[in-house]
Formats: sequence, structure tokens, C-alpha cells
Amino acid sequence: MAILELKNVKKTFGTGHKKVEALKETQFTAEKGELIAVIGPSGSGKSTFLTIAGGLQTPSEGDVIINANNITDMSEKKRSKIRLKEIGFILQASNLVPFLTVNNQMKLLDNVKKGNMTKQELEQLYEDLGISDLRHKYPADLSGGERQRVAIAKALYSNPSILLADEPTASLDSDRAYEVMELLQRETKNKNTTTIVVTHDTRLISYCDKVYKMVDGDIKLEAKPVEEEIH
Amino acid sequence: MFLAWNEIKKNKLRFLLITGVLMLVSYLVFFLSGLASGLENLNREAVDKWQGDGIVLTSESDKSMPQSSMTLDQLDDIEADNVAVLGQLNAIATSGDIKANVAIFGIEKDEFIMPDVTEGEAFNGENEVIASDSLKEEGFQIGDELELSSTDEKLTIVGFTEDARFNAAPVLYGEMATFHRVKFGEAAEQNDDQINGVVLRTNDLKSVTDNEDLETIEMEEFIQNLPGYTEQNLTLSFMIYFLFVISSVIVAIFLYVLTVQKISLFGVMKAQGISNGYLSRSVIAQTFILAAVGVAVGFGLTLLTGAFLPAAVPVSFDIPTMLLYGLVLIVVAILGAVFSVLTIVKIDPLKAIGG
Ligand SMILES: Nc1ncnc2c1ncn2[C@@H]1O[C@H](COP(=O)(O)OP(=O)(O)OP(=O)(O)O)[C@@H](O)[C@H]1O
Ligand SMILES: [Mg+2]
Repeated sequence: MAILELKNVKKTFGTGHKKVEALKETQFTAEKGELIAVIGPSGSGKSTFLTIAGGLQTPSEGDVIINANNITDMSEKKRSKIRLKEIGFILQASNLVPFLTVNNQMKLLDNVKKGNMTKQELEQLYEDLGISDLRHKYPADLSGGERQRVAIAKALYSNPSILLADEPTASLDSDRAYEVMELLQRETKNKNTTTIVVTHDTRLISYCDKVYKMVDGDIKLEAKPVEEEIH
Repeated sequence: MFLAWNEIKKNKLRFLLITGVLMLVSYLVFFLSGLASGLENLNREAVDKWQGDGIVLTSESDKSMPQSSMTLDQLDDIEADNVAVLGQLNAIATSGDIKANVAIFGIEKDEFIMPDVTEGEAFNGENEVIASDSLKEEGFQIGDELELSSTDEKLTIVGFTEDARFNAAPVLYGEMATFHRVKFGEAAEQNDDQINGVVLRTNDLKSVTDNEDLETIEMEEFIQNLPGYTEQNLTLSFMIYFLFVISSVIVAIFLYVLTVQKISLFGVMKAQGISNGYLSRSVIAQTFILAAVGVAVGFGLTLLTGAFLPAAVPVSFDIPTMLLYGLVLIVVAILGAVFSVLTIVKIDPLKAIGG
């Protein structure tokens, strides 16, 4: 069964001649264990798509179903609960709390929900992202790339069933970017979760099971990336 | 608490400032309350010392003891478990160079308003008096002969008693006959049945007397009607209440500014699904920590100041009242946080993260 489903979803901003169709009528499903890439030019509607899929904004029309919950008509309070339980966000802007150390960013999640990673898993995650030595630092004392990796750790730490990542590798060098994609791939497969990655970097799409291309609010499935191209 | 405490730890100076302001406000509140109860005692302690339930004065006196003039035979019209007759007048007492405004109480030694002697001995005959020990601080001593402003009679201090000021004047307790001599001079003999009022102990104030000329006044009401008492209390209470409002507003403004600064942060946390409830509780917890620390330090500082204050300053710290005011301060501070909570609830996570 699909973990995430968008049915006849449309999003328009403004009215009259200022009207922008950020997302044209969209059908979209994602299954468990899938790593999906969404590519497309700037302003094509990728972030809009991602935030609607994650229940951060409501579509103008259509239904969004997350893990069998139709969230379209839910109150913000209920949607907030679904987000906490099911969704992990890696946002385009930094989503770290400035007055918490790296370790405490994770602890905050322990404070608000159950089912997060175990100590050993977190240790491994720090290791994989190369941030083990940063755990007692505050976000302000980290580089942009380090901050992004901590944000990734934070999103994965909560064991979300759907991970939505908006340009997660934007401020990483390409080696780091590949490592992060490998990590996301491994997490997705091992935990049978779903990951949707918005990216400009077409080299990264080779890690993905499916690639969608967004053009002017129109989302279309691309041909499956060819395995040989990776190596 | 987790978010609240970690934020305070990271931004110490910011939170130290607001705690400091709260500390000063609470210091002021505690001090004013000390002053209020000090001034209150100044007026009423001699009355409290009676431990009476009410007092009978003449109806036309309008609840003012000096204006009330009755005779001993009116005692027959008064029905109570325990009665004590009282004559009262104010005078200036002089001993050597020291002068003091005093209230002279004429009482019967075997009745219940007879004070406990804490130093020296009880009056025992003509013109001997027990004095309020506040006179001791002004330099009066046992054995002093007091000249009085209104008469040639001289009084002798034979003992002291604690907590005996009536309407801010230290009390001199003496025999009824002494009182009559001071008040009426030559005519004392003819007026030896004159008293000002009768202090009562009874459970049933309503049925004390049915004499139209007499009025039974509940003790607290009598105190409220002491000259200046109510006005003074109202003024100080008003200042204290106003300080409550001020501290609430200060906290509201401060937290609101902090909250507005953190809108995008709250938005990010809300996007992750952290609930309004959790974030609001965190702000409330923060306010509680700040207010509790501020009030506690203010409390300590007040007591410390009180210990070093000269006796002439009429402060008396009533701990239960102070604790109550401290609690009120914490509560109004938390009310001040309500604005911030409303702001948090209204934050749109999407706008905040600028996706
Ligand atoms: N709140 C809004 N109000 C009006 N128009 C909006 C709003 N949000 C997005 N848009 C418009 O919708 C379109 C899609 O925006 P979106 O942020 O989804 O693009 P994107 O593909 O994520 O771009 P980028 O790669 O630069 O992040 C843009 O034309 C944008 O101007
Ligand atoms: Mg975008």
C-alpha cells in the first residue's frame, strides 16, 4: 500500500492576473522502501510539492493521504501530530534550534515523541555523517555544511516513515553529497521507509529508485536511472 | 522545561536582565508590604493586644474613641462574656529633654485589657503607669517622671510592655483614677464615673446592648475607623497592586520581544510537528523560572535590608503576606507570558521556514 498519495492535488497562489499555478493537477504515489528524486528548475514548484506532501500547507484542491490518514481536512493540531509521527523534514533553510547543542537537538525530539533511534544507532548516524566530534557544539559554531549534516541527522533520528528533503546536499562538497545520498539510500532500504529528495544536482539521481521532473508545476516521472551510470 | 532551561543557559545575560528587573519589582513590593504592615501595626497594635471582639462607644461618637464619653452605670446595659472599661486621652509627655506624643489608657487592673509587663512592674497606685516599650527606644526609662501637656499631674513609668501603640502613639497604661486626674484635674472626683468605651469579649455582638445611646462596633471595624488608618492602607495597597500590573507588563513586553525574535525558530519546530502546547509550556516554564528566581532573590534582599534598618522605620515583615505577594508576582508574570503564547499559536510554520 502506498505510504504517501496525492490525489488531484492542485495549488494556486493569488487571484486574477497575479494567479500562479505553483502545482498543476497532480497524481503522485510513493511506496515504502522508495528513494525518490524530484528535479526541476528554480521556481518550478518543487518546494510547494514537498510542503504539501508533508502536510505543511494545504492544497487548493485534492487530497493528501499520509499512511492512510487523509490530512486534507484535518485541523492544524492533528496535522502537526501526523508530521511529528510520520514525517522527517530536511528544509532548505536551517532547521536547527540555535540555543541547543547538536546532542540536545536530538534530545528535544526525545522530549516530544517516542520511537526515535537508539543510542547505538545515533552513534552510527553521527559516524556516517562525520559529525561525532561536533555533538557538544551550538549551530552558530558549525559550518554551513556541518549544519546541514546535523539537520539530516535530526531528521533521520526521529525514524520518520517519510523523509522529505529539500536540497539536502546543497552546501556539501560532492564527496560528502555522495555519502549523504548513500546514507539516505541505506536508511530507506534498511528501515523500509520512503525518502523524497528535491535536488538540482543531477549526479545524485543515480541513487534514486524513481526520478520525477518538475516543470512549471507539472510533475512527471522520468525514465528510471540506469544502474551502470553510477559506477 | 528542556527548551526553556537550555535557552536560559545559552543566553544568560538576556535572562539575567529580566530576572534583575523582576527582582527589583518584587523587592519594592515586599518592602511596601512591610511598610504597610508596619504602619498598620503602628496604628492598631494596642487594639490587637486587647484581643477583644468588639467595643461599645456612644452612638454619637461616630466610632471615634476620643469623642465617646459614657458613664460606668451604662455598664448595666451591656451584656457580654467579658467586659473591660477604658478611658483614653492623648497628651504630650516630657521627661527632661525628650518629648513624645502618647495615648493614656485608664483601665482596671483586674480586667482583661491589662497588658503583660515585660520589664519593671505593674502600676500600683497613684499616677504610676506601664509604658509602651517603643518609648524606651526614644530614651524613656523606668522611674522617669513624665510631665504632661494638659495638666499639672506627673506620671511615673514603673514598667514597660510590648506592642502597645494606639493610632501611632505609644500607650501609657494606668489606673482609672490616674486617668481621671489627668483628664479632669480638680474635677476628677466629680467625674470618677467617666469612661470612653467598653471593650468586649463575646460571640454575640448583636445582642450586647439595646441602649439607643450606645453602639457596639466590631473590633476590625473600629480599627478601620481609626483616623488615617484606612486611607494609609488604601494608598499602600494601591501602590502594591499597581506594581503587580507593572511587573506583568514588563514581563509581557520582554517575552514578547524574545518571542518575536524567535518566530522563525518556532515555525521550524512547528513544521517538525512540535505542538503549540509544548512550545507554550516552554515559554511559561521559562517565565516561571525567571519570576521565581527574581522573587526569591527579592525576598532575601528585603529581609536582609530589614535587618539593617533603624528601628524608627516602621517596617514589619509579615511572612505569610509576603509569600502571598510573591506568589501573586509569579502568577502575574506568567499572565504576561500569555501574549507570547498567543503569538506562538498564530505562527504559520510554512511562512516561518520560507520554503
Ligand atoms: N506563498 C506563495 N505565494 C505566492 N506565490 C508562491 C508562494 N510560494 C511559492 N510561490 C510561487 O510558486 C512557484 C513555485 O515555488 P517553489 O518554492 O515551489 O519553487 P521551487 O521549485 O522550490 O524553487 P527553488 O528550486 O528555487 O527552491 C514559484 O513561482 C513561486 O513564486
Ligand atoms: Mg524550493
